[in-house]
Amino acid sequence: MSGADSTELMNKLLTGLRLAVTEMMTAMAMSEVVFAGQESADSFTLTNEVVGLVRLDGQLQGMVGVSCSQSLLREIVSRIVGLAPDELAMEDLLDGAAELANMVCGGMKTKAQIGSVQLSPPVSIVGQEYTAQWKTNHPTTVFTFQMDEGVLMVHASL
Amino acid sequence: MRVLIVDDSSVMRKIVARGLRQAGFKITDILEAGDGQQGMDLLKTDSNFKLILSDWNMPIMDGLNFVKSVRGGPPAIKNIPIVMVTTEGGEGKVGAAMEAGANGHIKKPFTPETLQQELERFLK
Repeated sequence: MSGADSTELMNKLLTGLRLAVTEMMTAMAMSEVVFAGQESADSFTLTNEVVGLVRLDGQLQGMVGVSCSQSLLREIVSRIVGLAPDELAMEDLLDGAAELANMVCGGMKTKAQIGSVQLSPPVSIVGQEYTAQWKTNHPTTVFTFQMDEGVLMVHASL
Repeated sequence: MRVLIVDDSSVMRKIVARGLRQAGFKITDILEAGDGQQGMDLLKTDSNFKLILSDWNMPIMDGLNFVKSVRGGPPAIKNIPIVMVTTEGGEGKVGAAMEAGANGHIKKPFTPETLQQELERFLK
């Protein structure tokens, strides 16, 4: 794949990713989410308590991550599954962070209309005792979304 | 009317169960299994399901092998409709599941309206 093709594919996925986050939060979590900015970084520390990750393979390799505070995750998962936030167990939060990343990436692929990129099963980290350093060979695009209950970050290294 | 949800994610099982109720289907029982093997174990003792909704990526027995096991199973279960609920689109994986005997596919994320549209033919 030429450099121009790769850049076009990356831009399609990034646009799809941004749209997918908004659509997923509106349709499934019934939450208002506002796009609050975009930046690029070579490496950073994931300071949020919650991270959901999906690896991309195929025509384009990379990683997409969703991160937020544990209280925001609890609120989002609560809305999606229809249970009170305090009824959610740690297993629900771990699965919730993973599914959040999974659904955002699924939505990204659909929006970008790219079938030649495969998604790995999602993984998640929840808890203050873990700190993850995000380092890749290419700059990471970081989208920030503002919700009533906090800030949701979406990181994409493509 | 009874439905079986097979998914390793507790959250996704809850999302699907909630979506089915919100879609307005008259479902009396929703049973859950954490992977394909658990699903098969459950079906050995209880086969009275109108529909099975299954994830693709699961430990122990994935969605494709689950579909194959059900279709190769005893008469009481082999004809239960199975709809895959996955993040993957219509390419490779879903095609393989349909070839193995799955009856439909729903992409995540979905809305109750999507479930209503896609599942009405199975849950009339």
